[in-house]
Amino acid sequence: MKDDYLWDKTGQPDLEIQELEEILGKLRYQPRPLDLPVSRQRSYFPLLAIAASVLLALLAAGVWLRVRNQSAPQPQQAEVIPAPSPVEEKKPEQITSKVVPQEVVAVNHRHRHRPVPAALSKQEREEALLAKQQLMMALRLTTEKLSLVHRKTQNTTPANQIKNQHRVG
Amino acid sequence: MYATADMLLMTPEAHAIEEPQEIAVEVVLVRAVLDGNRDCFARLYDLYAPLVHGILLARVPRAEVDDLVQDIFLHAYKKLHTLRDSAAFGPWIAMIARNRAVDFHRRSRETVEINDDLRGSEAHDSRAAEILELIRSLPEAYRETLVLRLVEGMTGPEIAARTGLTPASVRVNLHRGMKQLREKLGFMEGL
Repeated sequence: MKDDYLWDKTGQPDLEIQELEEILGKLRYQPRPLDLPVSRQRSYFPLLAIAASVLLALLAAGVWLRVRNQSAPQPQQAEVIPAPSPVEEKKPEQITSKVVPQEVVAVNHRHRHRPVPAALSKQEREEALLAKQQLMMALRLTTEKLSLVHRKTQNTTPANQIKNQHRVG
Repeated sequence: MYATADMLLMTPEAHAIEEPQEIAVEVVLVRAVLDGNRDCFARLYDLYAPLVHGILLARVPRAEVDDLVQDIFLHAYKKLHTLRDSAAFGPWIAMIARNRAVDFHRRSRETVEINDDLRGSEAHDSRAAEILELIRSLPEAYRETLVLRLVEGMTGPEIAARTGLTPASVRVNLHRGMKQLREKLGFMEGL
């Protein structure tokens, strides 16, 4: 059948179609080599180089810090000096010149060259204690405020705000 | 258009399989390309270049067709990983070719009207160019099928397998397109 020839080139050939095939065959695809790009895989070399540089810098910094710490004087040691008891504070008349004020002092051996403060008078000590209490209060307040801000930024309600009032009050 | 995987890969392991499953050629080739085998893409190119060439020839000036074929295959090579079904490589690249032809005409309209140089390069050709022009004047569905059949020499079943169209659609397109082409040829000869 002629239809078969148009469909799959079988059966009785259709002369007109054969002629068209012959004429149009000149326009047929002529094979040409395809030039593919050299490589389609991404190069990770720059990333690796950056990572290696950062690692080296960190290692160098670590070594430098270690060497610096070793060359520095030995770490400070806290010296505990007996402090006067509150009872003793209430009775300043009992304090003699031989009694050493009871205080916990962290002595920094690195700063030994600093002049050691002379023994404080009673009024000075009371002022110092008052200042210390105020400082501690301020630090507590700051800590509470900071923790409150931290909780707010994390969108969490404070666990028990009322319960903690005594800390700030 | 079927072949066995072992025939294509030609590896000893593949030959060891006693009852090989039939897998479409393009499936094996696409998988191999995705695994890094560049040579398999050259085989895909050999298999499908006539299809792409025919699709373009039915739509764009002949002078542009060869370069566009290369561009389309390079694009396909880069985007092959986006092909979900390896068996649909033919319909996929056919769609890329049709879209590229549309882009070509859009760009030509934006810059220059399809200039006379391009038309002229075809005009000096003989009767082949005249008949091709007649085919291009047919409805799109007919012109693509007729070019693939009469220019590229593909059979109806091959056109159906590579474009993803049903054999029935291809048969209808061929017969109706051929009928219209005969009418136009008769009209032309009568002049």
